[in-house]
Amino acid sequence: MTLILLIAVPLIAALIVLLPAKNIFRVRLLCAVSLFHASVVASFWWRRPGPELQGYFVLDPLGLLLLSILDLLFLATSFFMIGYFEREHRNNRTFTACILCLLSMTTMVSVSYHLGLMWVAIETTTLFSAPLISFHRNWKSLEATWKYLLVCSVGIALALMGTFFLAIAAHETRTLLLPAILNNAPLLSTSWLKLSVIFLFVGYGCKMGLAPMHSWKPEAYGQATGMVSVLMAGGLTQCSFLALMRVSQICHKTGLGDFYGSILIVAGVLSLVVPAVFLLDEKSLKRSFAFSSVEHVGLLVLGLGMGGVGVFGALFHMINNALAKVVMFLTAGSLAQKYGSSRAPEVRGVIHLYPVTGIFLLVALLAGTGMFPFATFHSELLIINASVISEHYVLAGIIIVCLAVIFMGISRLVLDLVYGKPVEPAPAPRENLFMNITIAAAAALLVGLGLWMPAPLSGLLHEAAALIGA
Amino acid sequence: MTPWIDVICILAVFLSLTLLATHRIVGMIKIFAVQSFFLGLVPLFLHGGIIAGRDLAVSLVTMVLKAGLVPAVLFWELRHISMRSEVRPILGLGASILCGAVLIAVAFWISLAMKLPGKLESSLVLPCSLATILLGFMTMVTRTRAVTQVLGYMVIENGIFLFALSLFDTMPVPIEMGILLDIFVAVFVMAIVLNHINEEFERTRSTGRRPRWGES
Repeated sequence: MTLILLIAVPLIAALIVLLPAKNIFRVRLLCAVSLFHASVVASFWWRRPGPELQGYFVLDPLGLLLLSILDLLFLATSFFMIGYFEREHRNNRTFTACILCLLSMTTMVSVSYHLGLMWVAIETTTLFSAPLISFHRNWKSLEATWKYLLVCSVGIALALMGTFFLAIAAHETRTLLLPAILNNAPLLSTSWLKLSVIFLFVGYGCKMGLAPMHSWKPEAYGQATGMVSVLMAGGLTQCSFLALMRVSQICHKTGLGDFYGSILIVAGVLSLVVPAVFLLDEKSLKRSFAFSSVEHVGLLVLGLGMGGVGVFGALFHMINNALAKVVMFLTAGSLAQKYGSSRAPEVRGVIHLYPVTGIFLLVALLAGTGMFPFATFHSELLIINASVISEHYVLAGIIIVCLAVIFMGISRLVLDLVYGKPVEPAPAPRENLFMNITIAAAAALLVGLGLWMPAPLSGLLHEAAALIGA
Repeated sequence: MTPWIDVICILAVFLSLTLLATHRIVGMIKIFAVQSFFLGLVPLFLHGGIIAGRDLAVSLVTMVLKAGLVPAVLFWELRHISMRSEVRPILGLGASILCGAVLIAVAFWISLAMKLPGKLESSLVLPCSLATILLGFMTMVTRTRAVTQVLGYMVIENGIFLFALSLFDTMPVPIEMGILLDIFVAVFVMAIVLNHINEEFERTRSTGRRPRWGES
């Protein structure tokens, strides 16, 4: 019953925060639930729970990896929120309730072994994340929420269609439970499976924000608070990536690995080219980081598409992407709270007024663009290495050029924000300890992983990669 | 009971086309409710007229959620937001019907190439569901009002639902209910966001200029 408990506890807590209470009580409850959740998940690293609900809930290495990443994100966000809501006096009832529901539903995505159930959980994450984007309830944030809701709902409807196509392909097995599909892979109808793969890819790719289905991303991340962007860019996108990895498992078993791989590689390259083009002229920090998120999900699918060491790189990049997003979006959120904006003309000379936030901005730049010694450097190198090993030299060239252009685009903006002429008069709010500790801890973890990979983590990544057939 | 399913399939496409040709939002919501009601009847005719508890449950939930609650939420929305009741089509009504007819032909043509491994209750299920999905997309793309976009999305979902009926035994009932509930909650959340948009619109209209939609 452990997995069911992990899903149920945040839901019960969500009901509690709906009751009349102070803002700070709700944030503390969120912290407590995140801590409880994280400690239970940490215990799974020693002893994994067995299947539950007749095999509908199973925690395999891929699920454990995602679940651990999600816990890191929710822990970081909830601690950051303590500092954030010291200054923000808007009622956070719906906000914290939605975050708790998100924790529950993302847990369900990680452990669900039935593809229909997984769809239900992913769709529910869309619905609970939408109210979070419009927390500030202004015109632009509402517009961003509407775009996000419509684009992702239609995308996820296509994924539902893909799930039904898969059910037709698995006509002989009469179930969408993953082990049954994998064990009866030779019985699957190839033509329906191909159709299903295309629909599932477009649907979940839309939710993941892969180019060219990324149009909602700059708007949503640009308007959402930093904490919400962290959960969306580091958590929700990777939930959809888990769905794409499940599809990869099926394709590998049915001999459609090359077909699926080529789709992933094309989408991955597009997701690198698009941000490279748009970042050169971007003035808003949050929107820049949103384009950087498109780049990172592009790298994830590229690694998955190339197979071999690329899959290992993609799995490692999942962790690094999440940590980098914590540093990037929480810094952007902290900046936006101080200045009331994250755009270049209104924010300048941060290092003179807020030295700590200024340094964090530089750290976010290096972590997000994959510079040594941050672990993003290693995972990106692994993915480039995979393209060289598989003799895709042109592809390796394109990746390197795009990464270089993206680095130039983001660094131009960040350096302008950090070292430009300070704005007058200086904004009032001071640095906050909780916010800064959260960002520093994520950055330290990212550097730590860049210098040393613990044996249990390496073992889990190898186990997870083996599931996808790498 | 194939003839009944055939009739419902044809009705679903016909109603989607009528939706495209309607110029009042209230009328569009009513047409959607009727379409959902007929689709809710399909599970009752699936197993040669023998109605199992599961068929009845799915049928009832579909009718209550899609033909009852979703239209109710949309009508509530219409009453609360200050907007004109006419749709604002990018494409004229005549041109919309013509394009809709072409889409129906395309759906039938595509479905010829799609050979189902199992046996379907009716050969019209696949082409009609594809046609409904395509017409739903067209409603979404060519109608600029937010409520009509929600209706387009719901028509797409109806098309997918019709298709899903052919796989009735593959999906366990709780998951089917989850899918239906998710779709209802989606409409509910969209209605809340629309309400917030309207409040913000009213507020900015009285206090000053608001940015144009799409202006950053």
